[in-house]
Amino acid sequence: MAVFASYGEALALGLASGPACLAACGPVLVPSLLTERAGFRPHARYLSAFLAARLLGYMLFAIVAWELGALASMLPAPRLLMMGVVYLLLACVLLWYAYSARRSCAQPCADSQLVQIDENKNRGVAGAAVLGLLTGLNLCPPFVVAGIRAAQLGSLAAALLFFAVFFLGTSIWFVPFISLGCIVRNQAVMTVARMAMVLIALYYLSMGIAMLLGKKAYGY
Amino acid sequence: MATDARILPLARPAPRGILRSLLLTLPILLWSLLMFGNPNSHADRLSHISGAITALFMTVLFFMMMRTHSTYRWRRIFFVSLGILFPIGFIHNLFVMRGSMGIPIEEMIAGRTPFCFMPIPLLILPAAFTRTLIFPGSIAGNSHGIAAMVALWLALTLVMGKGWCSYACLFGGIEEGVAAIPRRAKIRKLNPRLRYLPWAVLLAMVLLSLAIYEPAYCMWLCPFKAVTEYVAARNTIGLVQNVIFVLLFAGLVIVLPFLTKKRTQCSWFCPFGAFQSIFNKISIFEIKIDQARCKPCLLCQNACPNLSLSKESVARGETLLSCMKCGACVDICPRQAVVWHIKGTGIQAKSEPAWRRFPYIICAVSVLIGCVYIFIARGLFEASNPARALRFLLAACGVAVIFGGILIVRGLINAPNPERARLMFLYGAWAMAIMFGGSIIAQGIATILHFIV
Repeated sequence: MAVFASYGEALALGLASGPACLAACGPVLVPSLLTERAGFRPHARYLSAFLAARLLGYMLFAIVAWELGALASMLPAPRLLMMGVVYLLLACVLLWYAYSARRSCAQPCADSQLVQIDENKNRGVAGAAVLGLLTGLNLCPPFVVAGIRAAQLGSLAAALLFFAVFFLGTSIWFVPFISLGCIVRNQAVMTVARMAMVLIALYYLSMGIAMLLGKKAYGY
Repeated sequence: MATDARILPLARPAPRGILRSLLLTLPILLWSLLMFGNPNSHADRLSHISGAITALFMTVLFFMMMRTHSTYRWRRIFFVSLGILFPIGFIHNLFVMRGSMGIPIEEMIAGRTPFCFMPIPLLILPAAFTRTLIFPGSIAGNSHGIAAMVALWLALTLVMGKGWCSYACLFGGIEEGVAAIPRRAKIRKLNPRLRYLPWAVLLAMVLLSLAIYEPAYCMWLCPFKAVTEYVAARNTIGLVQNVIFVLLFAGLVIVLPFLTKKRTQCSWFCPFGAFQSIFNKISIFEIKIDQARCKPCLLCQNACPNLSLSKESVARGETLLSCMKCGACVDICPRQAVVWHIKGTGIQAKSEPAWRRFPYIICAVSVLIGCVYIFIARGLFEASNPARALRFLLAACGVAVIFGGILIVRGLINAPNPERARLMFLYGAWAMAIMFGGSIIAQGIATILHFIV
C-alpha cells in the first residue's frame, strides 16, 4: 500500500508541476516545433522523441540521485555547474538547429506564399532527442523535490519507477503542443522561429557562462 | 477597375476653411481643456502653465491637420516633442524621488517601478498560469492602477490597432526625430527579412518570461532603459544588462534611424509593436491603396517610416500588418491613391448625402459625456474616493463603448469617404495622444519651466 502511495505521490507531483515543466521547456520546444512541417504526425513524432529523451534524462538523474544521495546532487556549487553546462549545450543545439533549418527558408521571406518546407527527418528526431535530454536534466524546483523523494526510496529500481511515474504526470501537459501542427508553415513562420531560437540560444549562452563563472558573475 | 461617376477629382484638396477647421477642432479643444484645465487641482502654477501650453500645442496641431488635410508632418511634431520631453520629465522625477536613474532590485520587488506598457504581452502567459503580474510596477502608489492602465490600453488598442505606436508610444519619438535629421537615407537597401525580427523577439521574450518568471525583455533587451531607468548594477550580470541597453539604444534608436531614415527599433526589434500589429486585424481603421489610381511609383513605400509597405503589398492594395497608421504614405501620394479606410466600406471618395453626417453629432455627444464622467472621476480620485471614481470611469468607458458602437455600426459602415475615415481615426488617435503623450509633454514642459524659473 505504501508503495502505491509513493507512486501516487509521484504522479500527483508530476501533474501538479506540469505547468512549471511546460514553462521551462517552452523556450526550447515551441520554436523548434515551429521549424517542423505542419501537421499532427510530424509534431507527434517530434514530441515523442523529445519526451523519450526527456525520460532518459530523468532516469539518469534518478540514478545519480539514488547513488550519490539527493543532497549531494543538490549542493549549490555542483548544481550551478551542471545547470551552466546544460545551458551552454542547449544554446549550442539551438544555434545548430536554427542554422540547419536555413535551407527551408531559402526563398525571399517577404513573399507570404506557401512553400514546401524541406523535410529533414534526421535533424528533427536527433534535434528533438538532444533537446529533450538536456531539458530533462533541468533542475527546476519540482524536479528537485522528486529527486529528494526518489533518493529516499529503498532501491534503484524503485527510484527509477518513481521518476518514470513523475515523468508521466508532467508529460500529459505536453500533449497540447501537438496542436502547433495546425499553424500554417510559410517563410514568415519559419524565419520567426529560427530568429527566436537564436535569441533564446543567446540567453542560454549568457546564463550558462554566468553560472559557470558563479560568484564572479553574481557577486555572491 | 470601374470608376464611379461621382468619384472626386484627382487634384490635391485645397486647404479647408478656417471656420470649418475650427469647428472640426472643437472636440479636441474640449478634450484638451478637460485633460489639462482642472481648476480644482492643487498643482502649482508651473503645472498650470505647462498644461495650458500643452493644450494649446495639441489643439493647434490638430487644427493644422484639419486645415491642410495633412497628417504625418503635424503628428511628427507632436511625436518628436514627446520623444524629447519624456526622458527629461522622467529622469528629473527619478532624481527627485530616488536620487539616481538606477533602480535597485529591492525597489523592483516592492513594486516601485513606474508602469510601462512594453511588458504587457509578456504578462499574459504568466498571469494565465499563476494569476500573478510579473511586472513589478505601480502608478502613483496605487497598485490597482496597473490593471486599470492595461484595461485602458486594451480598449484603445481594439479601436486604433497599431495606431498606438504612432500616437501614444512614449519612446518612438526619439528615433523618429533622429530619422528626420538627414536629408537622404545613407542606407537604402534593407533586408526584408528583418521585418520578422520583432515577431521573433516577441516569441522569444514571451516564452522566456514564462520560463524565468520575470519580464525578460525589460531585464535584457529594452533599448529605452538607456534613457529611463537602468538596472542598478551590483554584479557583472547587471553591468552586462546595462551595456546591452546602451548598445541597443545607440544602434537602433540613434545610428540606424540616422542612416536609414526609418524607425528601425519599431520596425526591426520592438516586441510590443509586433503584438500591437495583431490588433490591426481587429481595428476598423486601416490604410488602403486605390488600385484604380495607383501608378505605382512606390513613393509610399519609400516614405513609410516603419517598412510597412512592400511592392507586393502595394500590388495587393494594402499595407503590411505592421502599419502604424502614421499617415506618411497618404500624405506623399501624388495621385491620392493611398487613403484612410474603414473596413467594410468602399475606398473611393464619393459625395454623400448630408444625413450621413449624423454620426458626427453622436460622436461629439459621446465625447462630451465621457469627458464629464472622467472629470467627475478625477475630482473623486483627488478627494480620495477611488471606489466611486472607478464607477464613474467605468461609466465613461460604457458611454464610449455604446456610442462608439452605434457610431461604427450605424454610421460609418455606410460611409465610403476616405476623409471621413481619416477624421474618425484622428479624433480617436488624437484623444489618445492627448491622454498619454499630452500629459507626458506637460510634465516635460513643467520640468523645463522649473529649471528656468
